[in-house]
Amino acid sequence: MSEIKLTINGLPCVGSAGETILQIAERYGIHIPTLCHKEEVQHYGACGLCVVENEGSPKLLRGCSTLATDGMAIQTEGARAVQARKIALELLMSDHDGDCVGPCRLACPAETDCQSYVKQVALGNTHEAVRIVKDKLPLPASIGHICPHPCEKECRRNLVEEPISIALIKRFMSMAELKKADRWQPERSAPTGKRVGVIGGGPAGLTAAYYLSLKGHDVTLTEQMPQMGGMLRYGIPQYRLPKDVLDAEIADIAAAGVRMENGVKIGRDISFADYRARFDAVVLAIGAWKSSPLGCPGETLDGVYGGIDFLRSVALHDPLPIGKNVAIVGGGNTAMDACRTAVRLGAENVYVIYRRTRAEMPAAADEIEEAIEEGVNFKFLTNPAELLGEDGKVKTVKLQVMELGEPDASGRRSPVPVEGKFEYLDVDCVIAAIGQKTDSTGIDAELNRRGNIVADACSFLTSLEGVFAVGDATNGGADIAIAAIGEANRAADVVDSYLHGALVPCKKPFVSQRYVTAADYADRERKPRVQIKNRDAQARRGDFEPVNTGFTAEEAMREASRCLECGCHDYEKCTLIRHANRYEIHPERFEGEKRRHDSEKRLVVIERDQGKCILCGLCVRVCNEVAGKGLLGLIGRGFGTVVKPEFRESAAIAGCADCRKCAEACPTGAMKLL
Amino acid sequence: MNARIVVGQGSCGLAAGAADVYSALAQLLDASAPATLGITGCIGLCYLEPIVDVYDAQGALHRCVRVKPEDAQRIVDAVRTQDYSLLGALLIEKEDEEFLTKQTRIALRHCGVIDPESIEDYIAHDGYQALEKVLKTMTPEQVIEEIKVSGLAGRGGAGFPTWFKWNAARSSAGEEKYLICNADEGDPGAFMDRAVLESDPHNLIEGMLIAAYAMGAQEAVVYVRAEYPLAIVRLTAAIDAAREHGYLGDHILGTDFSCSIRIKAGAGAFVCGEETALIESLEGSRGMPRLKPPFPAESGYWQKPSNINNVETFANVSWILLNGGTAFAAMGTENSKGTKVFAVTGKVRRGGLVEIPMGKTLRDVIFDIAGGIRDGREFKAVQLGGPSGGCVPAALLDTVIDYKNLSATGAIMGSGGMVVMDDTTCMVGIAKFFLEFTTKESCGKCVHCRIGTKRLSEILERIVSGNGREGDVELLEELCSSVKDGALCGLGQTAPNPILTTIRYFRNEYDAHIREKKCPAGQCKPLLTYAIDAEKCIGCGACARKCPVGAISGELKKPHSVDSEKCIRCGSCQSACRFGAVQVD
Amino acid sequence: MCECQKNKVDLMLLEPTLAEYAAVKGSLITILQHTQEIYGYIPTDAVYHIAERTGETPAKIMGVATFYSQFRFTAVGKYLILLCKGTACYVNGADRIAEAILDELGIRDGETTEDGLFSLSLVSCLGCCSLAPVMMINEKTYGSLTPDKVRQILRDLRKEAQQA
Repeated sequence: MSEIKLTINGLPCVGSAGETILQIAERYGIHIPTLCHKEEVQHYGACGLCVVENEGSPKLLRGCSTLATDGMAIQTEGARAVQARKIALELLMSDHDGDCVGPCRLACPAETDCQSYVKQVALGNTHEAVRIVKDKLPLPASIGHICPHPCEKECRRNLVEEPISIALIKRFMSMAELKKADRWQPERSAPTGKRVGVIGGGPAGLTAAYYLSLKGHDVTLTEQMPQMGGMLRYGIPQYRLPKDVLDAEIADIAAAGVRMENGVKIGRDISFADYRARFDAVVLAIGAWKSSPLGCPGETLDGVYGGIDFLRSVALHDPLPIGKNVAIVGGGNTAMDACRTAVRLGAENVYVIYRRTRAEMPAAADEIEEAIEEGVNFKFLTNPAELLGEDGKVKTVKLQVMELGEPDASGRRSPVPVEGKFEYLDVDCVIAAIGQKTDSTGIDAELNRRGNIVADACSFLTSLEGVFAVGDATNGGADIAIAAIGEANRAADVVDSYLHGALVPCKKPFVSQRYVTAADYADRERKPRVQIKNRDAQARRGDFEPVNTGFTAEEAMREASRCLECGCHDYEKCTLIRHANRYEIHPERFEGEKRRHDSEKRLVVIERDQGKCILCGLCVRVCNEVAGKGLLGLIGRGFGTVVKPEFRESAAIAGCADCRKCAEACPTGAMKLL
Repeated sequence: MNARIVVGQGSCGLAAGAADVYSALAQLLDASAPATLGITGCIGLCYLEPIVDVYDAQGALHRCVRVKPEDAQRIVDAVRTQDYSLLGALLIEKEDEEFLTKQTRIALRHCGVIDPESIEDYIAHDGYQALEKVLKTMTPEQVIEEIKVSGLAGRGGAGFPTWFKWNAARSSAGEEKYLICNADEGDPGAFMDRAVLESDPHNLIEGMLIAAYAMGAQEAVVYVRAEYPLAIVRLTAAIDAAREHGYLGDHILGTDFSCSIRIKAGAGAFVCGEETALIESLEGSRGMPRLKPPFPAESGYWQKPSNINNVETFANVSWILLNGGTAFAAMGTENSKGTKVFAVTGKVRRGGLVEIPMGKTLRDVIFDIAGGIRDGREFKAVQLGGPSGGCVPAALLDTVIDYKNLSATGAIMGSGGMVVMDDTTCMVGIAKFFLEFTTKESCGKCVHCRIGTKRLSEILERIVSGNGREGDVELLEELCSSVKDGALCGLGQTAPNPILTTIRYFRNEYDAHIREKKCPAGQCKPLLTYAIDAEKCIGCGACARKCPVGAISGELKKPHSVDSEKCIRCGSCQSACRFGAVQVD
Repeated sequence: MCECQKNKVDLMLLEPTLAEYAAVKGSLITILQHTQEIYGYIPTDAVYHIAERTGETPAKIMGVATFYSQFRFTAVGKYLILLCKGTACYVNGADRIAEAILDELGIRDGETTEDGLFSLSLVSCLGCCSLAPVMMINEKTYGSLTPDKVRQILRDLRKEAQQA
């Protein structure tokens, strides 16, 4: 066979007559993307991804089918070819109707694979479920107890009846696993010899340390408090998160190789400069531990505390004195934790002062509900105007009465004072739970106007070389724990790349999403969520025991089996999404009509989802050319073309048998083996 | 010699009522009549149909136009009395005659002259002489050389040298080879192939036989689009007649050359004008283009060497072989030889088929021959080349017609459709019209075309409905450029041309739609507002009575007004008003 | 006629076509064209029958039939109106003709009147551009249409059908 000499991306290559550009490139390890080409079937040329440039050719060539000729000078990643590919992928995605991942996973700031672990729970496999969740989250039991679960808000079951109880399922599976002796432990990569210091032992610090350690780095986690856990330990009350659960998970993190040093404060016990000198990289995860002041006259009186200061005192078993009448200012989760803790400490009258109404409260709905059950009084549409004291100690809160005005930037209606209208509330103490601030004393990284550490959103780099920052201490300030964990996990990848010599910023992957309405689920069986009972509110007032005991195994399986499994079964292997991410596409600019498609159609051993079909024709061609059956056909023309199986059931079943070649050839999740 | 009365019976003539005229004449002409009655095809004076050609005993032609059945008596009287002045106003006017006299007809030389249903008539007009000459005195190589000398290029649109394709097919290995005639004239606005098929089918057959001889094919197929039933009828009859006369079949004219021709009717898919899609369709499959290479010359119909030419290309062949390639090449420009047929339609005064030598200007065709814009309006653009072509503005009217010059404008020669537009045609609307066409006709195989044309249509749709966004023009340009680059076949690769040329020459119209939400041509309904000029309105109430949605109100004898919320912009009020009081903006 | 009988077609009518073309390769489109001429559309039963006789799979036959706009899968009216949507017709107001047909018959592209008399199909170009706007009804072409002219043609055809 005659020899052909050509260059591909400048690399001299040798092929033989009759070989395509793609075949030769592949042999030299140069990957030309394609969606519709497979060696066992004839060339088709539909997807337009394999286009390459040839010096001197006016047109792009399709690599899959163009035979190489002597002297060709091929460029596989030239600007023109890349643009054609990018547009092809954008066009395909603009007509692609499928969810790469479920909306739960998209809503989770740590991108935990909710659908997969929920499925494992449904199958009774908590071990595998924990393995999956720990890929993103090293504290699933703790987070399972306390997470305000943004995932559940997006759950598609909302369109049927109620969302899956994802948080309770996570709590169940992680607790079940924690009770086992042979619980799941990750593999740790070979040591890299690189040292990383992580400052702050809260959820962000623990997470960053855990994943960096698993990547083989020598990680030291430094904490100023006597124990690890940060706000999970010193901010979240015992009745929400039993500390033995946290202890067990921290122990697992230590077992993953993280060296832990407690009671070391930067600037007090060691200078930041000296600390940095010990490590190849430093991650700041120092949290936001300063309460925001009320900003009204009288706030310096005795008996006026910050919310997190109060909670910390309780966690340290040395509660600040609160008396019988307690006013908590604020409407967030810290305010709820403070008021319910005050109740449990024996306060007789606990008030929550909030300047808007219940509807606008940022706290989780069940927290508010449970606080009400436990006897907390809510003073909505009031705001402290002044704290009046006696002998230097707070005695009365002067409340400005408010009303709701126009919506503000956040979309919530903003409170406006009703002029001259005040109320008075006699109190023994006031707890200000209106926000938290960063205390970065001793650390010389650049801060923003709000006093938070400036960290790049994608690289987590601070103004200092080799110093990264994550969590509540950075940029926009405090958020929920799972958000800090997500940042820390992503930062671990970035720091790892940095330690290997080339920093790769994190990038939010492009995923395809379906837009659905209740009508799309009209045929689904209604299955209300599995309800669990809380302990009696009166009993709860008297102790710090958990409000409920969570799911039993049977309840968890039943609840988990409600999952609609929105995310694509093929996400990990999907060629389409892999290429889409490689070429950084923006299909939203071509948003338009999508092909109408029938709902899933079962054909013997496969299930087809027309919405995900990209009409590469592989299934049809494989069925014809490889299987020799011709049971699948293209129907219609142009934009509305669809793949359809032969419509006479009996013949199809006999012919289709279980060859499965079509589903195996499908480059997307449009075909699923049953 | 008897007088002859010949009724033009192409599709246009029939559509205009030629069949009724024919039967009216037939009723009046009995066996004793001093004239015979016959038919002919399409002469290309479509705007004057029905046309009746009266040849007197001396053979002089008296052409009657826009003939109605009731005019039959007058025609018969004129023939009977030999007083042709009786025809009076029926006779064609001088400037209409010039529509034909200013043309140079080669491909159409028999159209409207001979009886397409009579092989004898074709033979009487030098028919099959070229075939005889070729078969008896020339080698295939000599034939190809003659075509090479002529400079004939593919008239279907691509303009590829004909000799090269014939030679490539001839040089390909194998005994079994096919010749295919592409008569799937799909470009909306082009109908020259239909004219040849209906009016001069033997010329096509002769051209094909010469090509088959040259390339070495024993079997030929004509792929005719389903929308041309009359063409299929006439071509079928012509093939039968040619076979009976020994021009088709085994040992044609006693030589060793044998060839058969059959017809395949298309089933309605524009993409089958693309040669590889056409082959798929001939094989009974979905008309989805194949990847090239291999080219059909190497592996085409049933994977055998095949050559595909279009009807008009074949229609030139017998003339070239009879008159010599040099005579053909003497006409035209440096890079484009011979003549080209254009179907001139739209807002021109005289619409029809125009065959001119390459080298004339667009102005020559549109103004000199077709008489310019009708109704005293202004020329805005001419659309050339159908869905693959583009719109050329007034500033380029002096462009010399040849392949190269027309391509330089962003349009193409294409199959020769020339749709002329005046100031009432919206250029964004015309781009949308073509993109909707290509979206509908896309086979759906490749991504760039299947989804790309759909998205282009959608963006244009939002612009004409007043929802255009800043940046849409740039988005169109970006997508157009990728569709051209990435589409698999000619349909997709050229689909963006109508958008790109309208953006290039009429960007202001796009901007007006997007920024000012106005349609300068007053054509895009969602962007129009109807109002009544109080000065002109006399309060007759005619408009209010015609309004289908009750959007017009007012007291009798007082100026009325339009409620633009209710108005559906149907224009009924405007046509109802006799005082010009309804204003559209 | 009851529903069940309506859906049954006499497959024997296909025999002459199949006898001529079933064994000739590449004849699928021709067979489908004959099928449509016989039944007025492509009945599902005929597809299976053709599959059995030609050896093509039903999936392929349906693929071909749905690719070409000529083929229909439901019966059409006595008069099939092919309304030209070509460029010249578009420029000369084909939309107004479509509106007039909608107004007169209440049908749009692909629809049939309730009395089964008229069906409307929009086609790309009939090649009678100089007489635009144009339509073809059962192979007869009508040119230089105006909304009023179209209404008159349709009314005449309806009268003709009623008298028949």
